[in-house]
Amino acid sequence: MALLDVSNLNVEFPTRHGTLHALRDVSFTLDKGERLGIVGESGAGKSLAAFAIINLLSKPGRISGGTITFEGQDLTAMDTDALRSIRGNRISMIFQDPMMTLNPVLTIGTQMVETLQAHRRISHAEAKRIAIAKLREVTIPSPEERFDSYPHELSGGMRQRVVIAIALLTDPSIIIADEPTTALDVTIQAEIMALMLDLCETHDVGLILITHDLGVVSEVTQRVNVMYAGRVIETGSTRDIIDAPKHPYTRGLIAALPQQNEAAQRLNQIPGSMPSLDGIPPGCAFNPRCPHVGERCRREIPALRALGEQQVACHSAEEVAALAGNGGSAS
Amino acid sequence: MTGPRETLVGITDVVKHFAGGGNVLKREKRKVHAVNGVTLAIRQGESFCLVGESGCGKSTLARTVIGLNAPTAGTITYRGQRIDDLTPKAMAPYRRRMQMVFQNPYASLNPRMTVQTILEEPIRFHFPRLSRAEVKAKVEEVMLSVGNDPHWGSRYPHEFSGGQRQRISIARALMVDPEFVVADEPISALDVSIQAQVLNVMMDARDQRDLTYLFITHDLSVVEHFGSRVGVMYLGTVCELAETKALFANPRHPYTQILLAAIPRLDASGFRHTRLAGEVPTAMDLPSGCVFHPRCPHANARCKAEIPALKDQPDGTAIACHGIEEGRI
Repeated sequence: MALLDVSNLNVEFPTRHGTLHALRDVSFTLDKGERLGIVGESGAGKSLAAFAIINLLSKPGRISGGTITFEGQDLTAMDTDALRSIRGNRISMIFQDPMMTLNPVLTIGTQMVETLQAHRRISHAEAKRIAIAKLREVTIPSPEERFDSYPHELSGGMRQRVVIAIALLTDPSIIIADEPTTALDVTIQAEIMALMLDLCETHDVGLILITHDLGVVSEVTQRVNVMYAGRVIETGSTRDIIDAPKHPYTRGLIAALPQQNEAAQRLNQIPGSMPSLDGIPPGCAFNPRCPHVGERCRREIPALRALGEQQVACHSAEEVAALAGNGGSAS
Repeated sequence: MTGPRETLVGITDVVKHFAGGGNVLKREKRKVHAVNGVTLAIRQGESFCLVGESGCGKSTLARTVIGLNAPTAGTITYRGQRIDDLTPKAMAPYRRRMQMVFQNPYASLNPRMTVQTILEEPIRFHFPRLSRAEVKAKVEEVMLSVGNDPHWGSRYPHEFSGGQRQRISIARALMVDPEFVVADEPISALDVSIQAQVLNVMMDARDQRDLTYLFITHDLSVVEHFGSRVGVMYLGTVCELAETKALFANPRHPYTQILLAAIPRLDASGFRHTRLAGEVPTAMDLPSGCVFHPRCPHANARCKAEIPALKDQPDGTAIACHGIEEGRI
């Protein structure tokens, strides 16, 4: 059985103008030590899909259907106290901006000890020992001194390493990382990602990496969920999906990257933009932007179905897959 | 690009310091050394990219070039005419020829103005004699050329998506038929599929109007696609200057090499890149000698003491590195 099994998850936001369905029938699993990427553009629901797992939904958002099974327990049926023993303990989070995550008026050490003591009955001295060991593990130089530093005394890359150290404090089995390197420079990003990869491997920690960057997904994850307008539209092994995408959106997204285009030529662009939640068209949400759109796409929502090694939610997936077979992503 | 063309914008020994930092109570006078002696020539018709990480001074340099900051030292010329010391009135005709596109289309469009007003304002300022009908026709023409519906004029910026807004701000820059456009991270705030749309609009405008671009970005894959020449900046200095193709085929400066290796690539897995020693120093305390020496794997005593000059190489690139000059690297 998988470590984490999300099944038919639905999240909705009741508003004055009706209910917005932010996530629809999202299903995925994560095994022990596995690294899963969730990619998509802003508003696709990728962060929501990850944070719904530990019920970090901002009001009035709520889970309106589906189950989330973690180590055999259904998280959606748990009360707040029981969930608190898992959130930040068995499942840790890393957010985008380390300056927002860390409390600016507390030292790093205080925040680390606080986290540990919230989940375990241990002495301050013992907590400090663990905290310094974790700071050393994330390659913070002179961790004993840094323990007493305030967040503003550290650089951005160093702060994100502290956030990673905090996430690792309780030896979680899953880390959810929401765009952990988006606020960082490219050389720092490479360092942080290499570090996370290394730590996940040595501790056998599962990683759910939320990102818009397909390059990062390719370098870090083993499997990937591609999301569009609140649904998973393609899922499978990262290599398969990047090398031979079968959904026209995934294909368009990869083809639009400058790396995939002849220098100085016009880029392959996807026309239009992703619909907002209150304007999702009938049928396939991607149909107004899709080059393979047919009459059925405007009527019927495509279900996620197996096609070769991956799963794809597209009525014309066979047609798209055939294109991917001859000549990569050039269209 | 066909052959070498004349210099449009000349940047000579430009230095820009900002007062700041330090302790207000102690009245310490500390300076931020944002740009420290940059010399560049942007040629007519090219898409010159400045690339570097946050705090390297690329945006400051761009803003200095277009006259939003006065340089602390050095000169800026436009078609051979010095422009950094002009009065605002004397600068006005140059402002029409040089336009800017900013990073965040949510902040750079006035939320209280309709799109029509936003687009008309620059043209009314620079061409006060144009009739209403002529202005309107111009707005329509430019909106179409950036792929926006010309009937959107009566709407406000908040009614548009990020990509549409950035196309409106490109349209605003194009309204006065500029020759030179400075674009400061114009696609960084946008989603991947929208980035491609906006880059295409910028490339179309270049081809149709023979524009010269100064394109500021931290995204090397965009540089590789868009730029004809690249300047790599680190802590306020240019460390390598090359044709885009040459730079990506054969990065020479140790910093450029590390920067290129750090790009996450679709065909790779593992993030096993060279690790840089230490952290980026701040522009308040510049390292002595070569600013890159504390992180450089090849640094020696000379690098710590002496600032390397940007020297032309036989292959047409220019590099500021003692190690390369001495043949050590």
